[in-house]
Amino acid sequence: MCHARCGLNCIVPPHLLRKLLESRERDVRESAMNTLLATTQLRGERFVRSFAGFLATPASGRRTMHDCQHSTYLPFAVVARTEDGAESDDHAVNRAFDGLGHTRRFYQEVLNRNSIDGRGMRLDAYVHYGVRFTNAFWNGEEMIFGDGDDIIFTDFTKSLDVIAHELAHGVTQHTANLEYHNQPGALNESISDVFGSLVKQWMLEQTVEEADWLIGSDIFTPGIEADAIRSLKAPGKAYDNEMFGRDPQPDHMSRYVVLPDTDEGDHGGVHINSGIPNRAFYLFAAAMGGCAWEAPGRIWYNALLASNPSTQFQEFADTTHMLAGQMYSAEEQQAVAEAWREVGITVSGIAAVSRRVAMGKGRMAAASRVAEIARNGGNVSVLSKQYDALAARVRALESGLTPVKQKV
Amino acid sequence: MKVTLTRYGGLAGGISWPARSVKSDALPGPAAAELEHLVAAIRSEAPLEAKREDRARDSMGYTVTIEEDGGRTTVVKRSDATMSQKFASLIQWLDGASKGSP
Ligand SMILES: [Zn+2]
Repeated sequence: MCHARCGLNCIVPPHLLRKLLESRERDVRESAMNTLLATTQLRGERFVRSFAGFLATPASGRRTMHDCQHSTYLPFAVVARTEDGAESDDHAVNRAFDGLGHTRRFYQEVLNRNSIDGRGMRLDAYVHYGVRFTNAFWNGEEMIFGDGDDIIFTDFTKSLDVIAHELAHGVTQHTANLEYHNQPGALNESISDVFGSLVKQWMLEQTVEEADWLIGSDIFTPGIEADAIRSLKAPGKAYDNEMFGRDPQPDHMSRYVVLPDTDEGDHGGVHINSGIPNRAFYLFAAAMGGCAWEAPGRIWYNALLASNPSTQFQEFADTTHMLAGQMYSAEEQQAVAEAWREVGITVSGIAAVSRRVAMGKGRMAAASRVAEIARNGGNVSVLSKQYDALAARVRALESGLTPVKQKV
Repeated sequence: MKVTLTRYGGLAGGISWPARSVKSDALPGPAAAELEHLVAAIRSEAPLEAKREDRARDSMGYTVTIEEDGGRTTVVKRSDATMSQKFASLIQWLDGASKGSP
């Protein structure tokens, strides 16, 4: 093609080069890259810098599916499908590919977030991990899915909410980075369940009433009597059978399960106590009606952005309450307060929130500013950058304020 | 020798997984030798890479307890995030040895 061959002497406008770099045709991409490298030498460092940023962050969260071929050693895995490649013959590969695509699109279209890190981070997933592997997990960089043991579990790629749950762990890591222990850990898990469920609801265009609010409803083998591994609507009622026990999730703070902060104790019950914030989200969404990914999803997402590694249930509840008022109206704010009250958490009043703002010009202030601009119809991607900058300043301020806080 | 595998956590963190136990003297000769070999392999492994574990989410944990006939007990722990090929081979073998019982 002409534009692919124009080579070093051709002056191609940057926006066209950008398009060519994303071309499906390898020749075109390579030629565009050569042109870019050559022209940047002519145009000087400033141009190089602006394009270096673009090249370092692929724009779209490109997907690569890997087949572990039953090994647990990831370097042995083979590439099974790429963003531009053909469909695979392997259903697990295609399910993971499509599931990650739907999830990526949800974050982009609903929350205006570009992939896991907000900057187009590539999406790598591994299927057929290990032998009869009964789990799916996020390893800090990639998503890994097992085939199940065919006794209790089948293939973990079968539930879109499971795929979206794992990807959400990446989003949390790149935002609040909630510690994986006790309440912050349970919030981390809850965020993955909430957005796991919302991605599925959004894909199926389900209302709050139509949605099943279940996580992993398709990963049990047919013979297993269980609805799912968790229920946001009814924590503690997802399963009850002789083979592996009863769903231990509480749905109220009075039933919070105190467990040791060890591997065996699920790091203080992060997969157990997530039932409490899960239920709060469901109750709020149910009170609002309609599509849960709209006001409820956006409020929870902004609360995640405003959180920090050690955020507790109470602080998260307060943040959602404040954001509901700022992003929407008193009706939403009242519904948020009521949802948290039903799970045993009383949101702190305006005085407490104001005190935090005054003390730290803190995260709440940053979230407040973002919410205000969002309400006024601002561009969320621009806001997101402003927010990150604000949050960084806030963290710096807070670290400086720590001794003062301790005295109080 | 008695080897017991327990697993916990993972995406379905609330599920309680039954322990799997195998006694080498109850196994046919070749199988007992295979188990001895797999156990020796995980004993000789380097310590866990704690750093990899830090950012992992939903990883399942595994504890292998080795009780020698002489009374000595060794406990080796791994998780999906710190899995080694040798440890994975032992888990796979123990799962296979008790296949059919969940
Ligand atoms: Zn999780």
